[in-house]
Amino acid sequence: MTATTVDAGAAAAASPSAGRAPGGLRKESAWRRRDRSWGYIFIAPQVVGMAVFVLVPFIASMVLAFAEWNGLTELTWVGFENFTAQLQDELLLRSIVNTLLIAIITVPIGLGLAVVIAVALEKLKTRTLYLILFFAPVVTSTIAVAMIWQQMFRVDGVLSDTIAKIFGIAPPDWLGDPRLALLAVCIVTIWSALGLNVIIFLAGLQNISPSVIEAARIDGAGPLRLFWSIRMPLLSPIIFFSSIVAFISSLQTFDTVFILTADAGPDNATRTIVYHIYDLGFGRFEFGPASAASVILLLLTLVITGIQFGAQKRFVHYEDDAA
Amino acid sequence: MPRANSKMRRLLAVGAASALMIGLAACSAGGGGSDSDTVVWSTWGTPEELTRFEEFNDEFMKRHPDITVELQPVASYSDYHSKLLAQLTSNTAPDVFYVGDDMLGQFVDSGRLMPLTELMESDASQTKPDDFFPGLFGAAESEGEVYAAPNDSNPDVFFYDKQALAAAGITEDPATLAESGEWTTDKFLEMNDKLAAAGLTGSMFWNYWATHYSWISSQGGTAYDDSGEFVGNSDATTVDAVDTLGSYFQDGTFVVADVLPEGAGADSLFVTHQAGFFSQGRYTIGTLESAGVQDDYDIVRWPTPDGAEAPTGVAASYLAIDANTDASDAAFTFWTEFLSAEGQTFRLEGAGNAVPSIQGADEVVLDAGYPAHAQTFLDMRDIGFANYPSEARVPGLSGDISELFLGLYQGKSDAQGTLDAVADLIAENTGE
Repeated sequence: MTATTVDAGAAAAASPSAGRAPGGLRKESAWRRRDRSWGYIFIAPQVVGMAVFVLVPFIASMVLAFAEWNGLTELTWVGFENFTAQLQDELLLRSIVNTLLIAIITVPIGLGLAVVIAVALEKLKTRTLYLILFFAPVVTSTIAVAMIWQQMFRVDGVLSDTIAKIFGIAPPDWLGDPRLALLAVCIVTIWSALGLNVIIFLAGLQNISPSVIEAARIDGAGPLRLFWSIRMPLLSPIIFFSSIVAFISSLQTFDTVFILTADAGPDNATRTIVYHIYDLGFGRFEFGPASAASVILLLLTLVITGIQFGAQKRFVHYEDDAA
Repeated sequence: MPRANSKMRRLLAVGAASALMIGLAACSAGGGGSDSDTVVWSTWGTPEELTRFEEFNDEFMKRHPDITVELQPVASYSDYHSKLLAQLTSNTAPDVFYVGDDMLGQFVDSGRLMPLTELMESDASQTKPDDFFPGLFGAAESEGEVYAAPNDSNPDVFFYDKQALAAAGITEDPATLAESGEWTTDKFLEMNDKLAAAGLTGSMFWNYWATHYSWISSQGGTAYDDSGEFVGNSDATTVDAVDTLGSYFQDGTFVVADVLPEGAGADSLFVTHQAGFFSQGRYTIGTLESAGVQDDYDIVRWPTPDGAEAPTGVAASYLAIDANTDASDAAFTFWTEFLSAEGQTFRLEGAGNAVPSIQGADEVVLDAGYPAHAQTFLDMRDIGFANYPSEARVPGLSGDISELFLGLYQGKSDAQGTLDAVADLIAENTGE
């Protein structure tokens, strides 16, 4: 749409008598109605896609959570049985613990590293090159990333070999040792998401008004004081946003675990909630318990996000607050 | 200008709508042929296996120019059954399809597989029920009706490394001992002790149903009784056998192949002469030939307390027909030819990695003359058993039971505790 048409439309809408029916009801012009129809047509693919691939499965899983169904037999209502069974299932509890561990390890370390790298890159002239390097894993398929790391984590892989040579110990079996498998997943998760967070934080840092920095400098603030008292508080809304996204993403960890540690690792060491849901639904055809577990995941996500929103009042600083 | 915009928007809208329709159409693609002369069939497999299947299709269509056959392959076994389930649920399943032995029971119980007994006994059949080795049907048979038949089979035998045995000071040959009825459990364990003393791995096993039930059966124990109820935890012989099995894993003489690290896996250990025995199927020949060490290896059956042969586990996959197929005649023609002695010979000759499940195709195992005691594959298949139907009816149950056995092997539980936990798990899952 051109500027001319926007102005004309705005003028028509602003006119007191324009587009009003005698009864006082607003009457749309033909072109506006046409525009509206085209709008609907344009958003239709997205709406249909959302309905088919998000809304319908969401409603279906809500319904199936209260039923017993294996995909082939008749659906039987079982009330809250699936929920009580799942909450007593050691595998789900193990999955929740593993998932929370992944989130607790990867989110602070991942975001902390991203902040440090963003600060380091801020004044660098060649930062575009570094950004491309850091961002490459983000645009690479998770499957490909996991398969490459799988090779690196082999006992005879480059990582284990290097560690063995440096420390003079036996090469660690990252993916076969229950104590290391979850750590391996965390390393891959942090590495994969680092680039996106660096770019977001870098944009946030560059968005801080130079006058604020200059004023702090004039007041005698050194680099550390500047970082902790000016930049970090002003960056805190972005860190908060990234932490919510990263936490939710961690709670949904699946593909890395699925590829990197087949069958959820040794002794279910890397079994996450989403893997648990997948295993119940598509490994055992128990769609009722799988749906109940997915509802539990939804509630868990809501609770954690709620806690994060509660915590933001203490730790997040908005520029408007200062004003 | 507005006119140009309008055209552009219309074009974009049509494009978006078309893309959406193509996307949705792609989502619903697949399924069996919609006419009575087209047979769509699906399986998983390695690229080599899938190539062989395509060749079978070509040969089949030459024999039956009126029938078109299309293969719908799925690369991964782990993804195969979830896709098949989705297809069956949405009535878009292939006409003929493979089913794994750990998933078969549920498909049979669902009533979505075509009953085959009458067709198998008809004149059009090249595969009578009696042509198959009876122990291989397992969960494919329910209340006297056959719903699927084994494509081929893979009895787990003990491959042994003559070079590793010699390095451990073992002078007796296991296969020769078996021929003279002296292949006893004591002899087997004695050899394993010597291998361990020489710093080698005694035996390697995959942690799945055929391993623990083959051991129990070969040691004279009973896991399931004739009614299909698990009785292993109340049978003293079984508890003793599992205790022995567990203690050999716990002291490291036996090794669970599944948990060996990538890069130092069971195949690597075996072909580099670091392990004495490896319980595997006929596909092991390919591994040995690839490493160029096949001359050092032979096979032997599972040892027993008295040296006589005993039934042990046979892994198998099955071929079934969709009960709702539009091409029932053509599908059965394909099904019966695929499973016939000729069909199995065609599929398994050359680099064949399995053992025929039907009478009349044994030469495919014996003709190559390797391993020296290849007849053992056939002997073990003849008396072997498929996964117990009670277990195969519940998806994932066999895997869960294997996890409990893994706990025993890792010293987290004892034999009686493990078997009690297995009994509880089965009761919980089967409602008994």
